[in-house]
Amino acid sequence: MPIGWGVDFFDPFREFERLQEEVNRLLEMTSPFVPVRTVARATFPVINIGETNDAVYVYLFAPGVEPDKLDLSIEGNILSISGERDATKALKVEKVDPNRFYRQERFSGRFTRAVSLPESIDANQVEATYQNGIIKVRIGKREEKKARKIEVKAS
Amino acid sequence: MAERETKELATREEQAPAVRRERPMIPPVDIYETDDGLILVADMPGVTKESVEVKIEENVLQMRGEITDLPGEDVQPLYAELRGNEYFRAFTIGPEFDLDKVEASMEAGVLRIYLPKLEAEKPKKIEIKVA
Repeated sequence: MPIGWGVDFFDPFREFERLQEEVNRLLEMTSPFVPVRTVARATFPVINIGETNDAVYVYLFAPGVEPDKLDLSIEGNILSISGERDATKALKVEKVDPNRFYRQERFSGRFTRAVSLPESIDANQVEATYQNGIIKVRIGKREEKKARKIEVKAS
Repeated sequence: MAERETKELATREEQAPAVRRERPMIPPVDIYETDDGLILVADMPGVTKESVEVKIEENVLQMRGEITDLPGEDVQPLYAELRGNEYFRAFTIGPEFDLDKVEASMEAGVLRIYLPKLEAEKPKKIEIKVA
């Protein structure tokens, strides 16, 4: 079984995105810069959730977000994410002139999201790390909710 | 700034993938023009400067990046908005850029590519003389 983000199942939306991309490429061939928004402004940050026997992992895909501009909080089993990203910072230009963009697809501004996590989490055991634009939040599971291996005894 | 790095832009032979690969994800891109060149910024969370590849073939700029630190096999997916472990996008570029001087850097999952304009293509200031 391949590890990763469940890449092995069919997603009709991805097919649609693909088609859109093909069309864009055709347009780009006739003119190098097509000043239209070509990728739908997606939710930010994109979230994946996974679990192991003793913890729940939340992955927030937040490239270019400064960790101090991000707030994470847990209430009950709801994880709230809020923060701000200035997408123009990555340009590394002194003064950004909005008229000089040919394309502006990257999310910019304030964001808030909330996700509900499994009931088994222990809100007191949370740690978050940030690496390569991904924030990984590990939330431990309550002792009594941890999956137990049941041994089958031979009689 | 520590992660800034200039990538080699020499063309490489495309390696035939050993296994069937899933279609790559399409990163959102900003393109911005300055007097001296063009800046292209792409969001590729999970990609490091070692796992990103930027190349120019003919007049097509290609960027490809792989997510390196995937969750371990013991992590069972519960919910996934992002599916895939590779990004790819390509743009046709005009003849006004100096392709030998293209720079690329990767920082916090954001790829930045700078395409300088050829000297002859830069805007010139026209002085108005008072007669």
